[in-house]
Amino acid sequence: MNSVIYDTYTIFWRELKRYKKSRSGVLIRLIQPAIWIIVVGNIFSETQPLIQSVGFEGEYIEFMAPGVIILTAIFTSIFGGVNTLWDRRYGFMNKALTSPISRSAIALGKMSAISLIAALQASLIIGIALAIGVTFPNPLMIIPIMGIVILFSLGFSGISVTLAATSKSQETFWGMINFLGIPLFMLSPALFPLELLPDWLAAVAKLNPVTYTVLLVRELMTGVSEGGVPVLISIGIIFAFVIAMVAIASYVFTREVNKPF
Amino acid sequence: MVAVNDVSFSVEQGEIFGFLGPNGAGKSTTMMIFTTLLKPTSGQAIIAGFDVTKDAKHVRENIGFVQQETAVDEYLTGRENLILQAKLNHIPKKEINKRIDEIMDLIELTDKQHQAVVTYSGGMRKRLDIAGGLLHHPKVLFLDEPTVGLDIQTRRKIWQYIKKIHIEFEMTIFVTTHYMEEADSLCDRIGIIDGGKIQVIDTPQNMKNALGNEIISLVVENNDNHNSFLVELKKIEFIKKINEDDSKLILFTSNGTEVIPKIFQISSNLGIKITSISLTQPTLDDVFISYTGHEIRDDKSKFNRKIEHAKMKRMRA
Repeated sequence: MNSVIYDTYTIFWRELKRYKKSRSGVLIRLIQPAIWIIVVGNIFSETQPLIQSVGFEGEYIEFMAPGVIILTAIFTSIFGGVNTLWDRRYGFMNKALTSPISRSAIALGKMSAISLIAALQASLIIGIALAIGVTFPNPLMIIPIMGIVILFSLGFSGISVTLAATSKSQETFWGMINFLGIPLFMLSPALFPLELLPDWLAAVAKLNPVTYTVLLVRELMTGVSEGGVPVLISIGIIFAFVIAMVAIASYVFTREVNKPF
Repeated sequence: MVAVNDVSFSVEQGEIFGFLGPNGAGKSTTMMIFTTLLKPTSGQAIIAGFDVTKDAKHVRENIGFVQQETAVDEYLTGRENLILQAKLNHIPKKEINKRIDEIMDLIELTDKQHQAVVTYSGGMRKRLDIAGGLLHHPKVLFLDEPTVGLDIQTRRKIWQYIKKIHIEFEMTIFVTTHYMEEADSLCDRIGIIDGGKIQVIDTPQNMKNALGNEIISLVVENNDNHNSFLVELKKIEFIKKINEDDSKLILFTSNGTEVIPKIFQISSNLGIKITSISLTQPTLDDVFISYTGHEIRDDKSKFNRKIEHAKMKRMRA
């Protein structure tokens, strides 16, 4: 057990080193969410009455800021697994596979690094949000918010590592990521409250773990609870999602890397 | 799809064993089985006393593997690459720095160790890669074509390093290559694999001696008496073996200087015109040709796109 933790940390260390050295990557990953929060946040600012109709008093941009934080977490972590493909192509994976570390430690190390990177990117978006005037009633809430973002990203990194381990090519991987990422984001209350969705879409959104994460983060950030889901239920659903994804990813990764690439 | 079949041999502790064969002969597949990356469909391989299928973890603790394509992390510095390798192979924490200092010295990269690998030349990367494979002092070090794609000076330098580490750490080294001179200068023993089968295993010197100590190659103009020419040549007592490649004849022989006049005599009797003739010492190239019947490169006549493609897919790592 001890050695699994040590090995996981080894892979985690390597992934973070790589992240640290790619300064352009840090910026590029920020462009999309920055556009969302600045552009979309202002385009939809006139929808304030709609938001108010479900009991939210603030500006639209304050309503959607938690959504964009989660958007950052979703996309940073779901793209994060792509270096699994590079590692297999360029031989690093074989190096790790012929060393005594366990296969699941490789997967766990990658996932934990991806989720931390996603949280770092999300914290930069929180910074941008603050800079353009979004306010936190209680700044201390940033701590539990970051905790939730790390946890949630771990689940999405599990999806990413699972897809990367099963894809034989970059094209397959990116195809599947695009197929999953945008729908999961749109089918959540990230941009508009659940109450405004047609019933059948709202029902689908209720199956989406992103929904509960957005509701939870928004409640922590603005103090307004919507959707009628108790905090503990949301936390429970997120935990279940993360545990399931991490388990699936470790299993699939271990199985797939034993096959020739 | 059978990439290797009926490959049986043993490598002595502490020797440098060369695994020789043309592209697609099954070298990499065999290597992947030995390093636990591929499970053999049948048969058994014991590395450092452990079975590769039943006891993969122990095998991995005792081997180092340097792949054909240099696998170093370009984003990281040279030193960070080795730290990573040390951690992957569970080198005790307090020893890591000492080991890396030692090895950096050996591969002469000490002054570049804090630079990102992206700034390294191909030879430097390969040295770093090899260093990573032996940092944990494995009992067996696997080198898959360690000098492919390097210039001749760098290649020689890599050989020196391999010899140096072999003496310093007394490890068994299993190296695949398709450079004959590399095998000749580096290896204690050589196995030639072709078409997924082991053709011969011996020391390079014995292999060359077995062919006689000289080679006569001659180009003749084809004519009706060609077959009787061959028959007559075979009667010369010093000639051990004759290989035929179109109009080119390769005779493995001893006492070459005495054989050449006899050849001329036979050819003038039969009216066969010799366009060129040469007398050389045998190289491992000749050994290879004598065992496989073709030169060490892709045999175009047998090239089958589908099979090659499937092979590439399996081997790509």
